[in-house]
Amino acid sequence: MKRSWLKKIIGGLSLTSAMFVFQACYGTPQDFGLDLLIEGQVKAKTTGLPIKGIKVSVAQNMQYQITDENGNFSFYTEMMDKVKLEFADVDSVQNGTYANRDTVLTDLSEKVYLNILLENK
Amino acid sequence: MLLRLKKFVFRKFKNSAIKHHELNYLFWECTTRCNLNCLHCGSDCSKSSSFQDMPMADFLNAIDTIEKPSQNLMVVFTGGEPLLRNDIEVCGKELRKRGIKWSIVSNGHLYSEQRHNSLLNAGMGALTISLDGLKDSHNWLRNKEKSFDKVISAVELAATSNRLNFDVVTCVNQRNLKELSQLRELLIRRGVKAWRLFTIIPIGRAVKNSELLLTDRQFLELMNFIAECRKSNKINVKFSCEGYVGRYEPLVRDSYFFCRAGINIGSVLIDGSISACPNIDRSFSQGNIYKDKLYEVWQNKFEPFRNRQWNKVGQCKTCKEYKDCQGNGFHNWNGDMKNVFVCHNKKIENSRKYLN
Repeated sequence: MKRSWLKKIIGGLSLTSAMFVFQACYGTPQDFGLDLLIEGQVKAKTTGLPIKGIKVSVAQNMQYQITDENGNFSFYTEMMDKVKLEFADVDSVQNGTYANRDTVLTDLSEKVYLNILLENK
Repeated sequence: MLLRLKKFVFRKFKNSAIKHHELNYLFWECTTRCNLNCLHCGSDCSKSSSFQDMPMADFLNAIDTIEKPSQNLMVVFTGGEPLLRNDIEVCGKELRKRGIKWSIVSNGHLYSEQRHNSLLNAGMGALTISLDGLKDSHNWLRNKEKSFDKVISAVELAATSNRLNFDVVTCVNQRNLKELSQLRELLIRRGVKAWRLFTIIPIGRAVKNSELLLTDRQFLELMNFIAECRKSNKINVKFSCEGYVGRYEPLVRDSYFFCRAGINIGSVLIDGSISACPNIDRSFSQGNIYKDKLYEVWQNKFEPFRNRQWNKVGQCKTCKEYKDCQGNGFHNWNGDMKNVFVCHNKKIENSRKYLN
């Protein structure tokens, strides 16, 4: 519903902007949504070493990513007023055992970089 | 009077858009491999699977010829079935690094929860999935048992994302025409916000199967169905931009008909050809990324797309609607180019005459 109003407003602003409100017959709709890129690295608080296998997920959303061997993660997600990220050790004892942690991001711009430290369990 | 004024203003706007011809919608026919064998194959996509997938690096090299991509430029991955490629996400991320948005047209068969997640992570912003009727008629057109169940699962997944601008498309044919009301209810129940209907034009395999094509009266029925649906806000139903529909223009779409092929829409086809929509006759190719710079071709060629006076032939020659229609959707021109393949407006007027 919100998107439908947005389209109408964009389409009504001027002939120039109306130019962009279209889709090809066999194509997809245009992408009007705003998103943000969240990147970062997860490390162990005690050793400072990167942690592989941590599930980084957006609360109340299906999206997640698992950190790579350098503890890195990078994904786009929907832009909201605030985004709650959950860091969870989901691979049991493999790669160590760490306590879960949540982080709430506010005042978001298009790109965010996070350094996350997890404590040992 | 108001309608005339609106049409006049819209014509002015079209002329301005043609003059500026900003590239803001680029199809990439990234594969012609497909996991289905649809009855209408070749009508809206290439039916040849003899080509190798184009390497991602070749496509990105072509993209990099665009000096300042428009803020609205979007790459649309199409096929074949794009999800057969495993590097869509990598390519999508590369596009986002360049400030370019991207989307996918899919038959939904490979759209699993895992793939949904990885595509969103890579910055996909829009998605179209095909659903061609209730169970039996969908499976018939897609020529595969259980296709319906897979597509419904994909539709449900896609509908969970607020980030995605997602719609369902339906190829309307003689088998599913009477099911459209039920299909609409089904989509609403599954959380779908937008539904686009189009018809099948008689090219590819569709030539030999008259059940795929709507009669003039059935086409009018479709227009009336869409116009009626648009009175409600439950789901945004519209007719695709495949053709000019005369008196139904303000009733079945958000804006008037404007075929933007070669004006705002370009494509890189499987063999590197540079054209507009992938369903356009391949003889209209304007260059090839393996010989030419994509953006130079876009800026300096595309004359037949931007000046369509050449198609004022056959029934279009004396048609009073030409200035608003300009020869219908570009993909309706193929073969000897002596006449438009399908005139949607004529179908409407024919059946109205019959009913009167």
